[in-house]
Amino acid sequence: MTVEQIASGVIAACEQEGVEYMVTGAFAYGMYGIPRSTKDVDVVISLAGGSPMERVVQRLSDVILFDEQIQFDTLTWGKRQVGTSRSEPPFKVELFELFDDPFVLAQFQRKRRLFSAQLQRTIWLPTPEDVIVQKLRWGRNKDLDDARDVLAVQEPETLDMPYIKNWCRQHDTEDRLLAALAGIPPM
Amino acid sequence: MSNLHETPGALKALQDDIYREKILRARKMTNEQRLADVFELTNSVFVRMHEGAMWQLGLSDPDEGWKFVRQRLDRLQKIHDSGRFVSHKMEQTA
Repeated sequence: MTVEQIASGVIAACEQEGVEYMVTGAFAYGMYGIPRSTKDVDVVISLAGGSPMERVVQRLSDVILFDEQIQFDTLTWGKRQVGTSRSEPPFKVELFELFDDPFVLAQFQRKRRLFSAQLQRTIWLPTPEDVIVQKLRWGRNKDLDDARDVLAVQEPETLDMPYIKNWCRQHDTEDRLLAALAGIPPM
Repeated sequence: MSNLHETPGALKALQDDIYREKILRARKMTNEQRLADVFELTNSVFVRMHEGAMWQLGLSDPDEGWKFVRQRLDRLQKIHDSGRFVSHKMEQTA
C-alpha cells in the first residue's frame, strides 16, 4: 500500500461518515514548505454529529489498527487517536478531535480545498498562515524549522502577516516568529 | 582546502547556500506539486527503511524486515510523543 492509498482511505472514511475534516501535519507543511517524507497521516476531525471519531475509526478498522487508548495533547488537552496500517509499510494514522480552542477553531474554519491528482480527490487543508501559527505554538525545534520554511517558501510579502502576528501575540510566540523570519537567508 | 568547521563564517555561508537552493526550488513548485513530492518521498523512505533493516540484520524474509521497521518506528514515536501526549488528562492547576 502507498501513503496516498492510506490518506485517500482516511479522507473517504470521513466523507462517507459525513464528518468534516482537515488534513494537517507533514502534508500541510509539505504543501507550503519544503517537501519531506513523513511517517503518518494526520487529520483533524469535527465533533459535529454523533461520535464522529468512533465512526471513522470503525470504518477504517479493516485497514488501520487503532490503539484502544485515546491520548491527550499536553499543550491543548485535545484528544488524539493513533493507528497503524495493517498492511506494509506501517504508516501511522493520527486522528485529532477538533476542540474548543480559539485558534484551532479558527484554523478549521479557514481551511481550504485542494485537488490532489495523487489522491484523485479534493481535500481540505489549513492555510499557510495557520500552519505557521500552529508550528510556532508547538515550538519544538522541528516545528520552528518548519515555520521558517513555510515563511521562506511562501514569502512574508504574500502572507497575511497581521493575522500571523495577532495569533503569535495571543500565544506569546512573537519571539519565535521573529527568530523564524531572521533565519531566512537573503535570496 | 581549509576545514569549513574551523571557519564558522564560511560554514554558515555554505549552510545558507544549501538552504537558499531548497527554498528557491520549492518556490518554483505549485502546492499540488509539493504535496505530490511528500507522497513520493514518503513511499521512497519506507522502501529505504525496509532495505536498511534487511541489510543491517542480514534478513532474507521481507516480513521480518517490516517487523523491525515497525518496532523502530514505534520507538521513535514514543520519543517524539514524550511529554507532548499522555494517556490520561491531568487536572489543570490555576
